[in-house]
Amino acid sequence: MPEVEVTSESQSQSGASSVRYEAATKRYGKSTVAAVDRLTLEVPAGEICVLVGPSGCGKTTAMRMVNRTVEISEGDILIGEESVKDRDPARLRREIGYVIQQIGLFPHRTIAENIAAVPQLLGWDKDRTRARTTELLALIGLDPDLGERYPTQLSGGQQQRVGVARALAADPLVMLMDEPFGAIDPINRERLQNEFLRLQAEVRKTVLFVTHDIDEAIKMGDRIAILREGGKLAQFATPAELLMAPADEFVEDFVGADRALKRLALMRVSDIDLWEAPLAYVGQPTAEVRAKLSAPDVEVPYPLLVDSQRRPLGWLSERDLTAEVVPSKPDSPLGPLLDRDDIMRDALADLLQGEAQYAAVTDREGRIVGVLSVEIISEFLKSPAAKSEEHGAVERPHG
Amino acid sequence: MASPALLAAVGEVGEGFIHHRDSANRSCQAIPSKLFCWDWAREHIGRYATPTVQHLELVVFSVVIGFIVAFALALLAHRRRWLRTPLLIGTGILFTIPSVAFFFLLEPLAGRGRDTAIAALSIYTLQIIYRNTMVGLANVPASVKDAARGMGLTDRQILWKVELPLATPEIVTGLQIATVSTVAIATLAVFAGGGGLGTLIKSDLSFKTNLILAGGIAFLMAIAFGLILFVVQRLLTPWRRVETT
Amino acid sequence: MIGALLPQPVLASVKGAIEFIFTPQTSNVTGGKTVGGIDQVIELALKQLELTVLALALSLVIALPIGLYLGHRGSGELFATAIGNAGRAVPELALIAFMAAAIGVGVLNLMIALAVLGIPPILANTFVGIHQVDRSTVDAARGIGMTEFEILRKVELPLAIPTVMSGIRGATIAIVATATIAPLAGVLTLGDFIINKNVYGNNGVLAGAIMVALLALLLEFALSVIQRRITPDGLKLKLKTT
Repeated sequence: MPEVEVTSESQSQSGASSVRYEAATKRYGKSTVAAVDRLTLEVPAGEICVLVGPSGCGKTTAMRMVNRTVEISEGDILIGEESVKDRDPARLRREIGYVIQQIGLFPHRTIAENIAAVPQLLGWDKDRTRARTTELLALIGLDPDLGERYPTQLSGGQQQRVGVARALAADPLVMLMDEPFGAIDPINRERLQNEFLRLQAEVRKTVLFVTHDIDEAIKMGDRIAILREGGKLAQFATPAELLMAPADEFVEDFVGADRALKRLALMRVSDIDLWEAPLAYVGQPTAEVRAKLSAPDVEVPYPLLVDSQRRPLGWLSERDLTAEVVPSKPDSPLGPLLDRDDIMRDALADLLQGEAQYAAVTDREGRIVGVLSVEIISEFLKSPAAKSEEHGAVERPHG
Repeated sequence: MASPALLAAVGEVGEGFIHHRDSANRSCQAIPSKLFCWDWAREHIGRYATPTVQHLELVVFSVVIGFIVAFALALLAHRRRWLRTPLLIGTGILFTIPSVAFFFLLEPLAGRGRDTAIAALSIYTLQIIYRNTMVGLANVPASVKDAARGMGLTDRQILWKVELPLATPEIVTGLQIATVSTVAIATLAVFAGGGGLGTLIKSDLSFKTNLILAGGIAFLMAIAFGLILFVVQRLLTPWRRVETT
Repeated sequence: MIGALLPQPVLASVKGAIEFIFTPQTSNVTGGKTVGGIDQVIELALKQLELTVLALALSLVIALPIGLYLGHRGSGELFATAIGNAGRAVPELALIAFMAAAIGVGVLNLMIALAVLGIPPILANTFVGIHQVDRSTVDAARGIGMTEFEILRKVELPLAIPTVMSGIRGATIAIVATATIAPLAGVLTLGDFIINKNVYGNNGVLAGAIMVALLALLLEFALSVIQRRITPDGLKLKLKTT
């Protein structure tokens, strides 16, 4: 009997499945207008797909069709290779994690009991359930003692984390998240987003994430599906593709006029080719430095003072170079100092704030690797994709 | 349908009153303005035992029957929306009609005696418990039901594991109101031949001590039931006892 | 059609009762006295109605102001709840008898006894109704410069109408039910038919019960019409959609 090959597209190692919409449609009653109109897209296993669009565009409906809390009128949705229509709804849902905006924890059960809900439904034994609950509490960063408390005793942010833990408890194949952080204040929302991305890097679930906030979509999504009113798919692409090549005017408007800036949020300083400044070491004869400065292909017209470890100390002016040797104290201060792992948008902000034309960029040990300027950034934005944007789906900065 | 035992009990108490009125302790009873005769009370307190037990029986049976029927109706109406309005109106009408009237309206069907009284009182408790159960179920937050359904609980599981537990405070409050009221109304059961403390009251309407004793026992019984059910409600809902952030 | 469902003896009783209501009959118990008939029935019904309305009025006069005041202030919740619970626990029969024995018979005295039953539900419900009006709504009203009294009259009371009326209806039911046994205290109401069975016979008893039931339903209906009239439209809409 030939070995059956498990394709890596449909089932990843950690227990996640792909989700495929095949002309999935939802009509209410006898209405000819569809809430979701022939939606077709495929979410590879282990990726986050964000469904985003204006109010009433059907994104929540589309998500709910996966676990059949909304029934499919026409078309099909497949998890892995199996149609959701072939399963008993209640059993199907026990294999799908479900996180909603209002959180919906059971007020009459403790946190631990809430998390254990689906495992109990599936008949896990007590020890396994308890172990899993402890594991999850740690995973979401909550004190294990909180397990005995009731939901009303927790803050909104803590409650929603429990909501996520509850959805993960039975190790589902797919996670559905409907504006999960919508009811949380902005500060905690960002924290929760980052934590979830950190979590996702570990557990690698297939996630369908609904939001109306394009910035959240760009931050969270490996792929983004923009829906327009009437449940029609406007564009299905990676965040970078979306920002660089919006499919039509609607997508362009929805993404926002600051597309360029949004692209910068997806990149690191290291993704760009940096300029080089002529380096000047303390005690080096100034003649050598002047020679470097007058070289024909010099990119930065100012010498950068560095120590013996190539760590930048400041910028040298003409006056400094009148001496015999390079002084130890530079004329101009260093100004903004960037790290090559910094997010490009933050780097630009630092540049603008420091009112500097050039900023030194160092590696993790503080050694100079190049110089960034506003000019470099704007040149880049005009040109085709930088190297990182090709891999945007796999690894992206999240603060 | 009055049981021989019941008739005998009523007769015995009635006789006891008439008999004692003519004997000693005339001094206290003869004074109409005297509010409470302690001596008489101490001597005759035993007379109040059987009627009190009867009264308890009336209350317990009617509340239990009323609860079972109301709960069943509520579960039915919860699932089938179209039933709700007719049931609400139906039970409302039953509730409005004074139990006293019911004792006799039911008589052609059920005859005189304790069973009729219990049936009439059950109708009274029915409306209260039904209404409170429906309100309790309606107050379960939609988001909790949504989450439960999305997690994969079947409708029946949602009802028993989520909705009913969360509706418990309202339901027990309904029980509390029903029980307290029934204790008070059951004093009228005597008119249906149902026994209870009402028989004592009716047998001597002008003797204040008697009224205070019989009425007082009924009143205290009601309050006691109220407190017990209040405690039960607290015990059944630990999640409401904690402080919220 | 309903007749087909009920057994013969039931039908006979009902027939007998209806006859009793409309035609005066010769009572075969107390030697030929005429009892029953529409005149006597109406007379007793009106008496019961009079008693109920007076007692209800007295209860409203006492309980409403207290409930409104406490509910608006937000204080005295324990007091209102306790009164409400205790009021439910009062045994009607003992109350009537005791009041009659203590303060005498007559409509006026009986009114006070019935008010004891009517005050607790009105007080408790009014308190809860006013107190549970959304705090932010009250806050907004205060913010635009309404006096405390205006807030109560224009904002809190209209919003509290369903709860308050529910208390009034509860009070009415309790009062009507107890007014039925007013004959024990010397005021002749429909309950006389029921209590003095030896005078009126079985037909009379059933007739009395039917009339009491009808009277109660009539009052309930009247109150629900009043409630519908005074409930503000916006509230009706909100209640319908929740």
